[in-house]
Amino acid sequence: MTTILLVDDEKLVQRSLEKTLLRAGYDVLTAADCRSGWEIFQTNADTIDLAVFDLNMPDFTGLNKPGAGLDLLQKVLEARPALPTIVLTAYDEVNKARDAMALGARAYFVKGREQGLVELIQGILGKQE
Amino acid sequence: MKASHTTGAERQAALLQASARVSRSIASILDLNLLFNRTVDIICDEFGFYYAGIFLIDETGEWAVLKAGRGEAGRAMLAERHKLKIGGNSMIGAAIQHRSGRIALDVGKEAVFFRNPFLPKTRSEMALPLIAGDEVIGALTVQSEIEAAFSDDDIAALQTMADQLAVAIANARLHRQNQELLRQAERRTRLLQAANKVGKEVTSVLDLDKLLPKMVDTIVEAYGFYYAGIFLVDESGQWAHLRAGYGQAGKAMLAEGHKLQVGGHSMIGTCIHLNEARIALDVGEERVHFKNPHLPHTRSEMALPLAFGEKVLGAVTVQSVEERAFSQDDITSLQTMADHLAVAIHNAYTLQALEAAHAEILRNKVYEALTAATTEAIHWIGNKALPISMTIARLKEDLADGQPDLVSLSEDLDLIAEASEMIVQVKEQLIGQAREQKPRPVLLVDVLQAAIRARGISGVEIQIAPEAAYVMADSTQLARALGNLLQNAAEAGASAILVEARADAKGQVYLTITDNGSGMSAETLEKAWTPFFSTKSDHHGLGLPAALHVITQLQGQIQLHSQEEVGTTVHITLPGARPAPAELSGAPSILLLDDDDDWARFFLAALPTARRADTPAEADLVLIDQNLTGADFDTLIAQIRQAGLVEKTIVLTAAMDVDRMTRLLRLGLRDVRLKPYSPAEISALWQA
Repeated sequence: MTTILLVDDEKLVQRSLEKTLLRAGYDVLTAADCRSGWEIFQTNADTIDLAVFDLNMPDFTGLNKPGAGLDLLQKVLEARPALPTIVLTAYDEVNKARDAMALGARAYFVKGREQGLVELIQGILGKQE
Repeated sequence: MKASHTTGAERQAALLQASARVSRSIASILDLNLLFNRTVDIICDEFGFYYAGIFLIDETGEWAVLKAGRGEAGRAMLAERHKLKIGGNSMIGAAIQHRSGRIALDVGKEAVFFRNPFLPKTRSEMALPLIAGDEVIGALTVQSEIEAAFSDDDIAALQTMADQLAVAIANARLHRQNQELLRQAERRTRLLQAANKVGKEVTSVLDLDKLLPKMVDTIVEAYGFYYAGIFLVDESGQWAHLRAGYGQAGKAMLAEGHKLQVGGHSMIGTCIHLNEARIALDVGEERVHFKNPHLPHTRSEMALPLAFGEKVLGAVTVQSVEERAFSQDDITSLQTMADHLAVAIHNAYTLQALEAAHAEILRNKVYEALTAATTEAIHWIGNKALPISMTIARLKEDLADGQPDLVSLSEDLDLIAEASEMIVQVKEQLIGQAREQKPRPVLLVDVLQAAIRARGISGVEIQIAPEAAYVMADSTQLARALGNLLQNAAEAGASAILVEARADAKGQVYLTITDNGSGMSAETLEKAWTPFFSTKSDHHGLGLPAALHVITQLQGQIQLHSQEEVGTTVHITLPGARPAPAELSGAPSILLLDDDDDWARFFLAALPTARRADTPAEADLVLIDQNLTGADFDTLIAQIRQAGLVEKTIVLTAAMDVDRMTRLLRLGLRDVRLKPYSPAEISALWQA
């Protein structure tokens, strides 16, 4: 079973994405900020196959911070450099995409097209296999 | 009296007597022209001479200039500016040079006589020096149609008179000098006063549109000039624009947008270009003078540069109807004044630049704030709307499958409902605080309690000084604002929230809400007032902007101070209030269902005939405080319905909520009203 770590602070978005991913046949672990996302990653480091991080959410201190998702991305990739990661954001922003890719994210995805996300995940995991 | 028909002794006596009369009549004349004319007339009338004239030595000391002459001949010679060389071959010239009287008894034989075409009948002439003290100041000529009219004795008699005349001239001159000195002293005093006034104004008035007109008025009035104007150089440095001008001429030129080219032919243009004063004492002869149709009487003009350091900011023009109007004193004091003025203009420019910079910063800040707010709003709405589109996509898939999972489908519908509900709520959050406020004296503690209860916040301690009990506010909106602030404190994890209020002598109420919650970072604090900015994903980020809007509309102020891990303090200033006392009469029997709280105590103090109770009982009017804590509100309403009192019951609330009001009215209650906070408002409960 493929396990995906999904970190997004928007409760409804998180649940909706979770449902879409579950339906696509993935196991989903969820968190709502950098701190809890990092904790869940640490306890499940070996089983997580792919991580999806929201770009803007509460940082490690719990305060909302634009681009906090990149902090978590960096930390996770330091621990597992080969882990496939995708960064989500609510609106398109080229500079942030560039930052995310520079940090080692496999893809950058603008929220709102769930099926697109599933296809993206399938593509990334397929390549890896 | 004719000189030729009398004996020597008689003539002598007559001449002496006439001399004495002339002396008496001229001794007190202080006007020189009058003195001269009167003297020549008296000499001719008293002695019967053909002509008399007075010469004074000019500034060069070389010429004796005719100052007065008898009759037509005198007028004609004065018109010709008749003058005689001292030491020349005239009798006058000789009398002055030798300081002694001279007689030409038969003019045809006298070598020194000057043949004068205006006085053809002269046959005898006497010239007497005018000596005041040791100084010869001129000479007197007396002429007769009779040959050999004068004897040496006559010289002695007339010389006495000439000496008196010289004294009178000296007196008149001295008087004139004194007058001039006095005039100068007065003028100096006036100039000093004007300089003082200018000095004060240039330091206190920074608005050039006010300062410059005052300056021109002060200059004209203090110096008694015809006109003064102030020009300032524009940004291009090419034109000097008139910015203030005296009187009607000034007004007309300002209306015409009068300007002069820097470095052009005008005095102002040259003065600015060269950074030096220009003076045209007789404007007709001055090449650089600008012939101005608005100032036709100008005969002297001065242009003074307004220079600050090396930079010439403009120039002052000062004009007079007199030729050679400017004394060295004038020039010095006006230039000092101009220097002060230049400093003031420089200061005003600096202030303008600062204000412009400030306005630009403000504009940028507003733009930034608007951009931030718009971005936050778009982000927020996008985030809230996102689950709707995601869920709808999933629902469509489910339905296409033909085997929908009802549990999942139901959850999806809940997701859509919750997301859309949040978006809908924002409307009230955005528009609610913008509704028109109806400020009235409100009991601060009651509004606070209403806000606390409505938001379900615990751990709040309220300390309100008696003089801060009432503020001028719309209770619904103030409850909204305070509720937002208290909710922020509670959500920051505060275990204690202290609300304090005190008032100053002017009746201003200072309210502080201090919490021991997590506090805010400097970055968060900076964004805290931005709509849609929130550190919590399930918040709309409108709480603080709404509070700011409400408090500002109430003519109050609000500030945030916060420190991470320490807590936040909100400082609010609101206008204090005092409800007007009033005697209440004609009240029906009233039952008040309420806790024994501050508002209930206020109510019962104002209306002692009312009763307070915890359960419903018979009365003409039943009032329920919506903010009661001692009993459950809904249970109380049920009891009222059971007792058949719904139509007599009015629910009182500090903060009106349309949904809640509609629900209560549907139950058949008489009314839902804003809580009264003054005796007059209480009486309105049964009078309406």
